[in-house]
Amino acid sequence: MRSTKIKLSVMCAVAGLLVLSAALATGAGATSTAAVGSGKASATKSVCGAGTGKKATGKPIKLGGIDMLIPGVDFTTIGKFAAAYFKCVNDNGGINGRPIKYILYNEQLNPTQQAALAKKLVESDKVVGIVGNTSFTECGTNWKYYKSKGFTVIGAGVQAECFGTPTFVESNMGPRYSNIGAAQALVRRGAKSLMVASPDTISAYADGGVLKVAQAAGIPGKAFPIKLPITDANSTILQLVQAAGEGGGVILDFTPDSAPALMQAAIAQGLVDKVIWGSSTPIANAFMAKQFGAFDGKMHINQEFGNINDGSPDENLYLAITKKYAPSISPQAFGQMGFMDAKFAVQALLSVKGQVTAASYNKAVRALKNVKTSMLCKPWYVGNALPYHIPNNTDITVTYKAGEVVTEDKCIPIQAVDPELTQTRKWETQFNLNTGK
Amino acid sequence: MISFATTTIFGVDWIFLKPYIVVGLALGGVYALSGVGVVVLYQATGVLNLAFGAIGAAGALISYYLVNHTSTPHWIAYLACVVFGAIVNVVYGMVLGPAFAGRDPLVKMMGTLGLALILLGVMAWRAPAGGAFVRVLQLPTSNHRYTVFGATVNLTQILALVFALVLTVGTTAFLRFTKIGTAMRALASDREITATLGVPVRRVELAAWLGSGIVCGAAGLLLADLFTSLDYTALTFLVISSLAAALIGRLQSLWVTLLGGLAVGLAQAVATPYSSISAYRTAAPFVLAIIALLYLGRHRTVTLSRTAG
Repeated sequence: MRSTKIKLSVMCAVAGLLVLSAALATGAGATSTAAVGSGKASATKSVCGAGTGKKATGKPIKLGGIDMLIPGVDFTTIGKFAAAYFKCVNDNGGINGRPIKYILYNEQLNPTQQAALAKKLVESDKVVGIVGNTSFTECGTNWKYYKSKGFTVIGAGVQAECFGTPTFVESNMGPRYSNIGAAQALVRRGAKSLMVASPDTISAYADGGVLKVAQAAGIPGKAFPIKLPITDANSTILQLVQAAGEGGGVILDFTPDSAPALMQAAIAQGLVDKVIWGSSTPIANAFMAKQFGAFDGKMHINQEFGNINDGSPDENLYLAITKKYAPSISPQAFGQMGFMDAKFAVQALLSVKGQVTAASYNKAVRALKNVKTSMLCKPWYVGNALPYHIPNNTDITVTYKAGEVVTEDKCIPIQAVDPELTQTRKWETQFNLNTGK
Repeated sequence: MISFATTTIFGVDWIFLKPYIVVGLALGGVYALSGVGVVVLYQATGVLNLAFGAIGAAGALISYYLVNHTSTPHWIAYLACVVFGAIVNVVYGMVLGPAFAGRDPLVKMMGTLGLALILLGVMAWRAPAGGAFVRVLQLPTSNHRYTVFGATVNLTQILALVFALVLTVGTTAFLRFTKIGTAMRALASDREITATLGVPVRRVELAAWLGSGIVCGAAGLLLADLFTSLDYTALTFLVISSLAAALIGRLQSLWVTLLGGLAVGLAQAVATPYSSISAYRTAAPFVLAIIALLYLGRHRTVTLSRTAG
C-alpha cells in the first residue's frame, strides 16, 4: 500500500515535470494560407522567383549552406530564412518549374567539421551552389576548397576572408565595416572616445576599423575581446563604460544571444546615460527594441540594410515570407541576410541558360551586377574576377523608439579607413557594378 | 601596491574598483548559496550534484515562460523555479538515489551529469537559444537601486548576499540542533552504521535532496537576474564556480564554502579592470580551488610503499 503511494507520487511528480517542460515552449505562431510572393514584380512589388503562384514539381535543384551554432551565437537564422525564401519560390513556379532543395548544415566553430561539411555538400550532396553561409571562421577554412571547385558562395560574412578572397560574396558588410559605421555614428554625435567590444574570436578583425576611425577623429580608442558565452556581464559593461569615460562612446558587437546580458547589466547598474552607445547590425530588431526601452534614442546601431518596417517592396515580401514560411523567426537583420542571399541565388538560377549545373550556376553568380533590392542603399553585385568583394558598403543608422526600430541617418558611405574599401569604390565605378548602367 | 595618497590599488583607482566589489560580492553570494547546497547534499548522500546549474536554469526558464506568456501572478512564477528545483531533486533522489547508494562517489557524480545533459537537451529542444529568442528574467527587486560607497547596488544583489549568509547560518544550526540534521551528519560519517542504528536513511537522504533542490531553484532564479540574460548554457556551467566554492570548503565546511564562493565572485569581478589579468578572470574558480586544496592539504601525510623484490 505504502509503496503504491510512493509510486503514485513519483508518477505525479514526473507528470508535473513533463507539463512544466512543455511550458518551456515559447509558442509558435499560426500559419497563413494566403498566397505569398505571387504576381508580377514591379517597382512597388517584389515576388518570389517567377511569382506564378503554382507549385514547382520538377526535379529539384540542390543548393546548400553551412551556418555556425555555438553557445552565445546562433547564425542558423540566416540559413533558416534562406530556406523560407526558397519555399516561397517553390510555391511560385520554382526555377522554370523545378523546385529548389536547400540543404542546411550547422557547424560548431570546428575547422575539421567545416571542411567536411563543405566537401559533403559539393561532392556527396552534389549541390550546384552554396548559399547562406555564416560563421566566425568558415570562410577562412573553406575558401580555397570552394575556389578549386569553381564555387562562388553567396553568404553573410563575419571574418576577414569573407571580404578578402575571391570565393565569398556577402549580402552584409560584416562586423568590421558595421562597427566602423557605428563608430562614425558615435563620432557624429560627439563621442569623446571609442571603446569597442567583440567576441574574442573575431575581435582583431572586427574591431580594427573602429580604432582607425578613432585615430582619424583624434580621440582615444580601445578594443575589448570578450570570451563567449559572457558569464560576467556586469563586470564587462563596467569595464567598457569606465574605459570610455564621461561622454565617451561604447560599441557592442554582439548577436542578440549575447548583447542582452550586457545591455541589461548597463540598465541594472545605472550606466545607460553615462556614455553614447553604439552597436553593429545584429541587435537592430523590434524584439530587442521592445525588451530594452531604456535604450530608446540612446543606442545608435549601424543597420547594414533598410529598416524592416519601411514599407519597401523587399521588406514587405520579407515580412510576408516570415509570416507564412518562418513564423518562429522574429523579424531581424539575420533574416534579411538570409532573404537577400536566397534572392540573389534565385536571380542567378533564373539567368542560367540551358542546364543548371554547378558550373553554369556559379558562372551566373559571378555575372551578377546591379542587382536591385530595396533592402540596400545601392544595387548589389558580384563582379567577375574581382580578388575580393565588399558590395555592401553604405550604412544606415537606426535606434530604438517605443519598441520599434527607427531610422536616424540614411545611406552614409562607410569611412574608407581600409585601402580595400577605396579600391572597391574604384571598381564599382570602373566596371559599373552598382551604378545601374 | 596600495597607494593611499592617490587611492589607487595596483594602478586602478579605488573609485573605479568599488562597483566591481559590489558585483563580485553579489555573484559570490549566489556561488556561496549554491556551494552550500552542494555541500549539504554531498554530506548526506555522497552525491556531488553536477546538475545543480542545469536544474536552476530550467527552473528559471519556466519562471520566464510563466511571467511572459501567461497571466500567472509573478510571485507564483518565481516560486515555480524553486518548486521545480525541489521536485527534480526529490524525484532524482527517490528514483535513482537508492540505485546509486552503494556505488563510488564518481559513479554517483556521473549520474547527475546525465541528468544535467538531459535537462540541457530538453532546454535546447523546448526553449532554443538564438536570435529570435531574447530572454531576460528580471526580478522586481532589481528595480530598487541604492548608492553604497559611491557604487550602484540593487536589491537583488543585496538579497543574494543575505541569502547566502542566512542559508549558511540556518543550515549550520539545522545540522547541529535538529534530529534530522544530526542524522544527516551521521550519514556523512558512515551510511551503513547509521542505518543499523535505526535512522531512516532514505527519508533523511530525501530531506537533503529536497533542501538542496530548493537552494538550487533559488540560486537559478537569482543567477538568471544577476547574470542579466537567461542563457541556459552559461547558467548550467556556472555550476563550476559553485563547485569551486564547495571544493574550497573541502565539501565539509559550510562557512569555508561561503567564504570560498564570495572569494570566487570577488576574484572574477575585481580582476576585470586589470588589463594584464582581465582576460584570464574566468579561470578564477579553478585557480582559487587549486590554491585552497594545496593549502588545506599541506599537512596531509602521503605514504608511499614499494613491493619488495
